Amino acid sequence: MEIKRHYTDVELLQHLRTGNHYDESVRQLYRTQFSMTRAYIRQNNGNDADAEDIFQEVLLTFIELVKKDRFRGDCSISTFIQVLTRHTWLNELKKKGKSRLREEKFEKAKEITGMDISQFINHREMKAQLMQMVDSLGDTCKKILLAFYFENLSMKDILQLTSFENEQVVRNKKYKCLKSLEQMIAGQPNLAKNLKSILSYE
Amino acid sequence: MNENITLTELLIRYIDGELEGESLEAIKNSIRLNPAVREEYDNLLSAKEAVNSFGLKKQIGALHTEMMQELKEEGIPRIMPARSILRRSLSIAATVLLALGFYTAYQYLFVTPERLFRENYQPFTIHETRGTNASALEEAYKKSDMEGVLKAFKNLSSPQTQDFFMAGNACLEIRQYPGAIESFTALQQSNKLHDTHFFEEDSEYYLALSYLGNGEPGKAVPIFEKIRSNKSHPYHKKVSAWLMARLHRLEQGK
Repeated sequence: MEIKRHYTDVELLQHLRTGNHYDESVRQLYRTQFSMTRAYIRQNNGNDADAEDIFQEVLLTFIELVKKDRFRGDCSISTFIQVLTRHTWLNELKKKGKSRLREEKFEKAKEITGMDISQFINHREMKAQLMQMVDSLGDTCKKILLAFYFENLSMKDILQLTSFENEQVVRNKKYKCLKSLEQMIAGQPNLAKNLKSILSYE
Repeated sequence: MNENITLTELLIRYIDGELEGESLEAIKNSIRLNPAVREEYDNLLSAKEAVNSFGLKKQIGALHTEMMQELKEEGIPRIMPARSILRRSLSIAATVLLALGFYTAYQYLFVTPERLFRENYQPFTIHETRGTNASALEEAYKKSDMEGVLKAFKNLSSPQTQDFFMAGNACLEIRQYPGAIESFTALQQSNKLHDTHFFEEDSEYYLALSYLGNGEPGKAVPIFEKIRSNKSHPYHKKVSAWLMARLHRLEQGK
């Protein structure tokens, strides 16, 4: 299968930040990077299912870093994704109790990528917990919150997606949904304390 | 209770960038001065970020499913890690070098005069010259009618230097090596007799080839060595070090 590289690294980063050609940029990352991830995981006590899960997680992390301007292209995208893969998989193996892998020094990753990625790798479990909280909100809450904060839709547009009477009712529902989520977070002090660094990659 | 809800709403509106003027300043001060308000603000901010992360996860999830299907259908591109590529390239290079080495060794060890002749012989071509009437021998040569050349040569009462040369080449072309040797040698004797130099260097080279074809490498070697040592010889580049090495190998084998 011929690999068609449409975008350069610079173009990819721009598309991921701005949302232009977003889907095609993500597809290109899959086409060009997945097989390396799969090869690495296969060579290190993993299987294809592990590779698929880890790659999805790595890509998610990478895109969030790009959106928060935490990856500025000091190394190539390919190199960075490989580093993310190694550390994410190592973290996963530790979680599974498979500690036969030699410990890799995170300082080495920092030399290559110019940033310390160990912290957000270590916070994987907390982030997973947070995603479960969002998922537990209910369909209407998720629909409204995602439409407002993720898709940046106006109240007028969100009203069309729901069966509410007017925009004020939608607004009130949004407040309640966000507050529910906030209370779930507040109920987990350890999570709340680390949340800022988990989500902002500081 | 109402106050708390109102405060929460204010915090959310602040996070959403919807506050202005006094309300904006008031909430900023509350956040700055009141730890509980600060804590709620931080948690609401984190909740907003969590929604964004969730949205991204859903978005990537959809693309993930699509791409896994595509990659399975089309075959995941084989992109080897750089280290494997280097290792594979070195391995291929080593194999090629080894094969080349074996081939070279074979060519050197199992060299024969006939093989050397075949590898180095190229027929002499005559260039057209305007304004001259070509002889019957020359016409036959241009048409590659080598038997015709030799027939015409036999009919000549006084062959010229070029006649000897074409006859010699005609013999070479049809692998009549003794005839070629005779013709080229006669040419050189004619030059010596008349103190001329017509086709002298050409006849040296083709005489050497004739000896090779005739299985007499010992006689070919001195001629090739003479050509190789003379950088201005027109056939100097045709006599390579590799050819000389194999010629010496032939000599040693005798």
